[in-house]
Amino acid sequence: MIHAGGRWTAGILVGGSVLAAAGFAWPLFAAAVPRDAQAAVPIVAFALVPALVVALALTLDREMYTAKTVALLGVLSAVGAAVRIAGTGVGGVEAVFILLVLAGRAYGARFGFLLGLLTIAVSSMLWGGFGPWTPFQMFACGWVGAGAGLLPRVGRAGTRTNPASRLAARLEIALLAGYGIVASYLFGLVMNLWFWPFAVGGGTGISYVADAPLGGNIASFTLYTLVTSTLTWDTVRAVTTAVGIVLVGPAALSALGRARLRGAKRRSTSPGGGGTRTHPSTVQGAAATPPTRPRPSAPA
Amino acid sequence: MFRFRLAPLRAAVILAVGFVVLRVGYRVLFGGASGSGLLLLDLPRVALAGPFSQVGLLGPVTAGGLANAALSALPVAALILVFGVLNAVVDVSRLFARGAGRGPLRTVSRALVIAWATFPALLDSVRRVRVAGRLRGERSIRALLVPVFEQTIERSLALAASMETRGFAAAQVVDGVGERPVVMTDAALRFGDPRETVPVDGPDEGQEAGQTAGQADWHLAHLNLELAPGTLTVIIGATGSGKTSLLHSLSGLFQHFIEGSQAGRIIVGGVDRAATPPRDTAGFVGVVSQNVRLSFVAETVRDEIGFALAVRGVAAVIVHQRVREIAGRLGIEHLLDRGVQALSAGEASLIAIGAALVCRPILLLVDEPLADLDAPARLRVCRLLERLAHESGVCVVVAEHNTREWAAAADAWLELRGNRAHLLGAGFGTGAGEGPGFARARPRRAGSPLDDAPAAAGTRARPSAPVAPLVSIRHLSVRRGTAVVVDDVSLEIAAGDIIALEGPNGAGKSSLLEALALPAAGGSVFVSGRDVAALRPPERRAAVALVPEHVDDLLFATTVAEECRRTDRARHRTPVAVAVQPTAARFAALLGLDVASARHLLVRHPRDLSAGERLCLVIAIQLSAAPSVLLVDEPTRGLDPEARALVGTALLRASGTASAVVFATHDRDFARDLATRTISMNAARIVSGPLVGAP
Repeated sequence: MIHAGGRWTAGILVGGSVLAAAGFAWPLFAAAVPRDAQAAVPIVAFALVPALVVALALTLDREMYTAKTVALLGVLSAVGAAVRIAGTGVGGVEAVFILLVLAGRAYGARFGFLLGLLTIAVSSMLWGGFGPWTPFQMFACGWVGAGAGLLPRVGRAGTRTNPASRLAARLEIALLAGYGIVASYLFGLVMNLWFWPFAVGGGTGISYVADAPLGGNIASFTLYTLVTSTLTWDTVRAVTTAVGIVLVGPAALSALGRARLRGAKRRSTSPGGGGTRTHPSTVQGAAATPPTRPRPSAPA
Repeated sequence: MFRFRLAPLRAAVILAVGFVVLRVGYRVLFGGASGSGLLLLDLPRVALAGPFSQVGLLGPVTAGGLANAALSALPVAALILVFGVLNAVVDVSRLFARGAGRGPLRTVSRALVIAWATFPALLDSVRRVRVAGRLRGERSIRALLVPVFEQTIERSLALAASMETRGFAAAQVVDGVGERPVVMTDAALRFGDPRETVPVDGPDEGQEAGQTAGQADWHLAHLNLELAPGTLTVIIGATGSGKTSLLHSLSGLFQHFIEGSQAGRIIVGGVDRAATPPRDTAGFVGVVSQNVRLSFVAETVRDEIGFALAVRGVAAVIVHQRVREIAGRLGIEHLLDRGVQALSAGEASLIAIGAALVCRPILLLVDEPLADLDAPARLRVCRLLERLAHESGVCVVVAEHNTREWAAAADAWLELRGNRAHLLGAGFGTGAGEGPGFARARPRRAGSPLDDAPAAAGTRARPSAPVAPLVSIRHLSVRRGTAVVVDDVSLEIAAGDIIALEGPNGAGKSSLLEALALPAAGGSVFVSGRDVAALRPPERRAAVALVPEHVDDLLFATTVAEECRRTDRARHRTPVAVAVQPTAARFAALLGLDVASARHLLVRHPRDLSAGERLCLVIAIQLSAAPSVLLVDEPTRGLDPEARALVGTALLRASGTASAVVFATHDRDFARDLATRTISMNAARIVSGPLVGAP
């Protein structure tokens, strides 16, 4: 799905992400701007991130406008939202990253990014949780999906022999599980970063101080994030994600591979091989949809 | 747009309070709770070392300090509350629904609408897979997530195909000419790129080479065909002969959506099919897909029927008018404001046909419209399609393995056999039966390869004198919500019975079977004198096993062999007195094969088995606990005659392991050929008593 304007799109996506990262990290940059402008920094960040969400969604909208992509995005974001909401009651057992990582891996960084965005949008719609935090969540989840799509490929499809392919499939799952762990901690880190000054307020040892040196603020933030989520929620999430990817990863990747998007990288996703199963209408009553399957056709 | 929901407000209040508490907590922990007022706690101040030397922990806590901390948190807490109120009042999903189909965010907004509409199906899928997991005795998270995920992907593909054929994302609108709806000239269809000798994604397993070779073998060649307006043609052929592929070579999905390749010429309405994707011809080619419920893209019936016009940017007034006109023709005006999830199977078929007709197609392609329907709905759909062809002049093509229903309506039959299509005249089908039946000779008494349950052997000989019944059902009722779906059913089943449970859609057959396998309350279902509700899961599975209608719900491994191994492992953990053969061997025996010749099936992905084979796999899995009674829900749904015969024989063989078999079916002939007794249900009750069947 890379069109002629693909390079432009890539530029906008990378640029937008860098700007958004700056928006997340506003507490660390605020000291660099002139003193009278410092009060405006959080406001700028809060306006910038939602605007960037819209800008990147607009950029991706055109190239994603095919029936298959839209259907997959819609259905998978429903799954993601359901998983996210089901997880809210269960103390941080956030399983949504499993989906984002696997789908990002199977369908590429852009799909993964949009899926992250949409998952947050749908779940916020469902439980009515829109707020200033929503664009930040969207970006962070979008990055998790996109990152999975940018991971290097393991092994080379097509030239693989039997044990090697099984090894490659295991390596791929290990890679994704490792990425899931890293992504879980990074997600917690960036989500804490932008909200830290509001969460703690002033007057404590770990408060954000606009005119303090960078090192001091970083030390305060480190303590804040350790206490707030890194040691608790993020760890639970990392474990959940890694275990989930190991458990359902092979089957899920093979299912995703079956619905391969045209133009996405062709890869064989599991030892079972999703490669040649591409039939679209094979629903429960798969009776009459088996052209991918040899059957002795006795004359009726 | 506006409505009131309490939940977001409640969530916001909890969040805001939590925020204030956290703020106070941080202050106390990091030495910020000192100040004026009463000294509450005099905690020692602890200084950290290293890079954190600036930070002090704890310190004195005063009332004033706590109040200050709480007060300082109020602005943010207030903001959270404001957003809570907004969320409670504004219905954001309506905003997105408006944007769907046009505007610069049409991908995102349409995806959101789909996500929204997917939830009911998703919940339903989770419920069904949960039940299936209990039926199989599998409690792993994989057994839940994998089937749900597979179904989700299938749904998205069905959705995508349906959107594609209705003009979603069309770059241009191509008009067709009505005089010659279909002309095929020396056309050929196959999968994969014909220039490629080796598939890019080569098979990873050596054994899979056979499968891939088989796929490469499938093709249709020398297709020469011309269909006229106002005719109804039925494509028939065995499972795997390519009925759906041929149908979709006309819709364009075969060439443009599923990576099939076409040679020769296929001209549809004057347009070259190979060069024109389905979305561009949505204006004159209507498609009704196989499982219509999976293909619904909108939330309401009105939006569903109008979808193809809406995505073309037709003005809302005209869409509205056209939808009313179509609904009037199909007699479904009363359904227009319903949600698409709340439709019966027959209604769903009519809506899908209506949605395909909204652009006034000259060619209407319908894939297995009758598979899910009961007899009255079948008749209605048949008559409707016949009228469309013969009165409205549409060229209708139907892919179907139920030949009988179409005998009166079809103008021509296209039979797929030996990689060719044979055109048969209208006379075909009138006298034709349902294909090969299965041997009535019953291997179930002795000498069956499945005859491996010696403990049950004594009870299996059909008793000549009345003995204690194997199963006794006493005043069983099941409620779902407010509806009573099974109403005071009492029934006895003897060892050796093969019972067919008949009745129209919604009569309560599936609910009855589910209640037999998983009774909600005690005192209603007894097997060999024991109350099923009181049994522990392994014992329950040794008493009753159910093969549900959606057999895929039970499967979650990536190969058939792995499914079988898992089943055997699970059995070893449970105390089954009877020695049972390995599941793989039983699976092979149900198919009439020995283990060695079934090896090519064992390496496959379960979802790549044919529908009949997959059903046999699940029967084999469910027989692993050596149940006294085997229940099978709709075993012939969507099967062609050959697969029906396979499943029928498998059920007879299964009755060698289980002492009694009960199956629910719409299929009269299947029931008559197989059952020793037939029981009919209607409106949640048994209407014909437990008759004694033919000896």
